[in-house]
Amino acid sequence: MFIIRDAIKNYPIILLKYIRNFKIVMWIFTFPVLCLFSFMFLLSCDPLVTTFEDVEDAVMYKAASITEPDAIPPEDIDEIVVMTWNIRFGAARIPWYIDSCGDRVLLTKKEVMTGLEGLAEKIKQVNPDILLLQEVDAESKRTVYVDEVQWLLDHTDMNYGAFASTHQIQFIPSDGMGRIDQGNAILSRWKISKAERIQLPLRGDQSALTQYFWTRRNILKVKIDIPTSLPLDFYGVNIHAAAFSTDDTKRQQIDMFKEILHELDIDGAIYVAGGDLNEIPPTSDSTNFCDEDRCPEDADDFCRDGSDFYDETDWLNDFYDDSSIYPALPLSEYLENNSPHFTHSVVTTGHDWNRKLDYLFTNLEWITGTTVTHQDAFDLSDHAPVSATLNLLIDHIP
Amino acid sequence: MKTGIGKIIVCLLLLPLSMRGNNNWSSGTATILPKGRWEMGLFQPLRIGQTERIEWSIHPILSFQIPNISVKVAHPRFNGWEFATRHSMIYPTPLLRRLRLKGFGISTLTEMDVGGIISNDPTISQIPHMISIKNEALMTKKIGVKTLLTGKGGISFAIKNGMLDSRTTIDLPIVFPRLGVYYNGYAVNLGADLFQQLTKKLQFLSDVDMILLPGADEDFTFEHKGLFIWNKHSDFRILVGYKLVYGEYPFGTQWLLLPLFDLEWGRSK
Repeated sequence: MFIIRDAIKNYPIILLKYIRNFKIVMWIFTFPVLCLFSFMFLLSCDPLVTTFEDVEDAVMYKAASITEPDAIPPEDIDEIVVMTWNIRFGAARIPWYIDSCGDRVLLTKKEVMTGLEGLAEKIKQVNPDILLLQEVDAESKRTVYVDEVQWLLDHTDMNYGAFASTHQIQFIPSDGMGRIDQGNAILSRWKISKAERIQLPLRGDQSALTQYFWTRRNILKVKIDIPTSLPLDFYGVNIHAAAFSTDDTKRQQIDMFKEILHELDIDGAIYVAGGDLNEIPPTSDSTNFCDEDRCPEDADDFCRDGSDFYDETDWLNDFYDDSSIYPALPLSEYLENNSPHFTHSVVTTGHDWNRKLDYLFTNLEWITGTTVTHQDAFDLSDHAPVSATLNLLIDHIP
Repeated sequence: MKTGIGKIIVCLLLLPLSMRGNNNWSSGTATILPKGRWEMGLFQPLRIGQTERIEWSIHPILSFQIPNISVKVAHPRFNGWEFATRHSMIYPTPLLRRLRLKGFGISTLTEMDVGGIISNDPTISQIPHMISIKNEALMTKKIGVKTLLTGKGGISFAIKNGMLDSRTTIDLPIVFPRLGVYYNGYAVNLGADLFQQLTKKLQFLSDVDMILLPGADEDFTFEHKGLFIWNKHSDFRILVGYKLVYGEYPFGTQWLLLPLFDLEWGRSK
């Protein structure tokens, strides 16, 4: 009886505490709703997160209308322009919340279209025959579900495409990201007869939950039917390596990329390869970008994951030392002056490119002087496209 | 053999008796709960029979975040059909605002924030105050002694005090079509339930429901449910089954098969 009387007497105080803890109480009632969402999808037949086999077919695309390549007789196709570009899903320089100290999450239709139109214009200006793209959205809420592979095919002179998801999730319960399907793509003027998605090692420095929802990096390898007078085994290989890993995941991914290029070379195939390796060239002038990448709210001595390359400076050595691999930009040329070849800068920190992360390689030969780092495309993405022209003269072909 | 036939006859005689209590567990039908009876499930709302003509229902836990109430009113039978109308009101704003957050967790490039169902993007305006009102007609007819057929149709309207950004949609099956009314302004629902008494304690419920959002880009959702219901006694039952959902979403169409499980309790005065 005493306890009940006491409780009645103290009721106003208890009520006050209750109101003070209203937010906590509200969370208690919100939590079951969140659990219900998760439970529903864990038990459903469709997996919440798409996981991939080690090697599986990539998704094929075709432009709505085929642009006939210039009427060049097959035997006269002696040059192929190749370009690589991390297009940042068409977000241009919008301060997105994960990679640029920003707070934007979901773009508007107008923003996406403006971004894509800028990309298409640049692609048409460079006019590549083969285009390696990274961070392309195929079906993502953040880009109003525009299939960017199809859109770019339909709004440039590229005809065929292949797409390999790096991030395919029905619903990411983080800041309303929702559905996402992002990946690597290769667009080509000529028909792609085979396309493989090759799974790269997952990051080893994350919790199991984050790793489950995180990007599943891959290499996209396609066979392109170039109409030359000689039958060619011609491949395009596209990689987007880990950006923010703090362990050796990225090194494993780069090594696997190199291994695939070696296999193609041993098999007598010709390849053009490249992408965003998220790695700086050996002997770069600067290896630490903590200052450049720091967000305004970070402490002065804070260094964001993936900003310090000090321990990684030799990870790309083999691409410059191996006699069967030809980088579009020779190391000697880069060392003369680094900055004209920089391809990346974080969005919010100044207006200067500050590191090279994007590369092109072949086992044939690039035409000297054709490699261009298109730093004029600053407003179109946080990466600059890199293009180069491959010498396809038959007497060069092994 | 004689014993077997006898059991069947007894069962057939008892069936109407077991169906006599069919006012109980009548959530999807035009039947009203008897006065003073309440029923509730893990995922089902609390339903209370106020009179022989009026039944109230509310999701007690959800109502802290989605205030909701529904009343089912019985009307005179015609042509052997039981007839009722159901009128519901839902205020989803508190929950939607609660789900609009950055998420809780470590905000780094190594670990992901978890919890934000709706984006907190600064270009998305605040979720406005919104209320939806749904008016539905239900008609139920007993077919033979073992089957109840229910047809239903309704229309919902939503009113809101501001603009609702289309980027706040939750593009998930079941959720997306039910929130569609707030984006589209109105919605139509049609459906049918078939309830079969398999044995004295075992029942099977099969239903189809369609949600239409006329004028919207994603205007059609189809849901089908199959549930085995085991009535331990008149005050407790276990439901196990599946739900098949097909719908149009902003990203395209999708099929989804979900397992269903529920426990329901009831008590009569």
